Amino acid sequence: MIQRETTVGRTMSKRGAEGILLLGFFGIGLTLGLAFLKAPSVSINAFESPDAQRIFYWHVPAAWAAFIAFGFLFVGSAMWFFKRSNLGWRMHVAGAEAGLATGLMTVWSGMVWGAAEWGVPWDWTDVRLNTFGLLTFLALFLVLGRQSQPDGVETRDTFSTFGLYGFVLVPVTYVATRLWQIRHPGPVVGGGDGGSLAGEMAVILLIGAISFTIFIIGHILMSMRITSLEQRLERIQKSMDKV
Amino acid sequence: MLGQTMTDALLNLNSVTVRRGMKTVLSQLNLQVSSGQVILFNGTNGEGKSTIIEAAAGLIPLEAGSVHHHGELLIDESGKGAKPVHPFGLTLQADGCMGHQRIEEHLVNTMDIAGSRVEMDSILERYNLKHRKHDLIAQLSGGQRRKVAMIAGILPGFISKEPRLIFLDEPDSGLDEASRISLIEDIRYLRQKGHAVLIASHNKEFEDCATDLYNIEGMVEINQEPTTEIVRNDVTNLPPKGWIALRNGVVSNNRTLSTLAYNGIAGFLTLGILLALVDPTKLDTGTIQKSGLILSSAFAAGLVGDSMVQMLHEHRSLAWWKAHKQGIPSSYIHGAILGFALTLLTQLAMDLTISWELTIIGSLLTTLTMFIVRMFDLTSARLARPRAAFTRILTPTLILPFALLVQWITDSNLI
Repeated sequence: MIQRETTVGRTMSKRGAEGILLLGFFGIGLTLGLAFLKAPSVSINAFESPDAQRIFYWHVPAAWAAFIAFGFLFVGSAMWFFKRSNLGWRMHVAGAEAGLATGLMTVWSGMVWGAAEWGVPWDWTDVRLNTFGLLTFLALFLVLGRQSQPDGVETRDTFSTFGLYGFVLVPVTYVATRLWQIRHPGPVVGGGDGGSLAGEMAVILLIGAISFTIFIIGHILMSMRITSLEQRLERIQKSMDKV
Repeated sequence: MLGQTMTDALLNLNSVTVRRGMKTVLSQLNLQVSSGQVILFNGTNGEGKSTIIEAAAGLIPLEAGSVHHHGELLIDESGKGAKPVHPFGLTLQADGCMGHQRIEEHLVNTMDIAGSRVEMDSILERYNLKHRKHDLIAQLSGGQRRKVAMIAGILPGFISKEPRLIFLDEPDSGLDEASRISLIEDIRYLRQKGHAVLIASHNKEFEDCATDLYNIEGMVEINQEPTTEIVRNDVTNLPPKGWIALRNGVVSNNRTLSTLAYNGIAGFLTLGILLALVDPTKLDTGTIQKSGLILSSAFAAGLVGDSMVQMLHEHRSLAWWKAHKQGIPSSYIHGAILGFALTLLTQLAMDLTISWELTIIGSLLTTLTMFIVRMFDLTSARLARPRAAFTRILTPTLILPFALLVQWITDSNLI
């Protein structure tokens, strides 16, 4: 009976992660719909390509979700590196995978918007763009690298080191907007004068931010569960090796 | 060895715990080794023989505990460590020598690290390698290469008049019978001179020269009585030469031309492609495009990284160099020359007045970029499959500093 309850509990937990992820997808879809159909048009004097500005409702929440994922990556890396915590390693893996997904969403949408607005998809001299690109490359490195290595303390130590190093770039990315702002606009939240939104635009952006946050939580929970199952499978296989 | 203080012991492993993969291989291991002890680790496969040797040599990060050589901290659980004050001998299971080195070069490195040079012919003759002295290690058979690795491990004992630690991991693997007999006699001689030797091997022949056997059940004393005196011709010690890692990097690069082959090709190809696509005469002086074009080939050459790291992965040479903490051979000098040449060539190809400032910046750019990529490679060197770690994914991150440098050069009117 106890065994059955535990199994039921685990199933609920698994379903919970799936539910959160689906809710996140629904919210993201809603945000897209609102961005294209409901969001007010911006002034043609303020933008080179006013229609492309609607990418903003996808781009900014995706970047927000990426920072949450990179935060997980950092905390997980630190927990493994300093405490040898298995939960920390699962957080590292989940943070890297979710960071890669949302980082690519941000970079890709930013490049499309940049091509329309600036005439170039990327500006190599813009520190904020490049440090964010670096975080995404770091996530790609961590995801591909981990898949190529057998699990073990050597693998975990090395990738945690890179995870810790990479996260230093998160505050740098934020500060970079103020210090070296060339093309990329300043932060939307906490950006001071001229950096805040109002009215319908802010509501749609808020829906987007909440949706991406729900999505990233669901993604991280699913990923942690998969890593946990991989570790369980590894333990079972090792115990079978001894028979 | 009970009743010893830490300073009496040549080696002290204090509550050492080591994990490899997902397994705890050593747990709270305490071991003290003193002058004249020869310990044979003869446990079964997977019991941790090599791990003890590598932990004692300071090669493996410790989960807990500390390792002291001659009473001085070598490494502890926080990763803190120091350069060994007293050099030691080390033979790794995977040999630890690069194929493009000559036998004599590898042994000279060992002697320079040990603090003194001696005439090596007599020991090479004993192992039937004298006629091969000038050969590249890559030209040797597996057994001959093993002999070179083994000799490099025991040489510090022959050179030093002070007691030294000698770590030998499977030193007899692939050795012929005559060499095994010579090795056992040499170990007896090292014991007689007061050195401490740790051997990991399944070969029971080593029981003849060992003072203690160590396996999972603990340490057992054997052969504690002094052996028949072994006489060796006294070696004449000559002064060592310094800059060991730098010297090896230069010699290796000169011999293999690896920097030219790896980095040079990338730089020349970049230059060729850019010149084919862009007409430099149509670029205005003082534009970011022109500055970027001049430095692109030097930057591309640096992005390839340090070819020496690839060569150091051969037979775990990198581990051998890391253990001795005397620096790791690099290609910085050749990288600097290459960067200089590429920037100069670019300016000539673009029909510009040569800017020596810019040429030196190009040289530094290649060297610094090579250094950073090398750091990525070395950080991932501990992985089980370091070459599959995809560290090159991180190299685009260097484009931002490159772009800022180009911007600065443009603003400073260096061209």
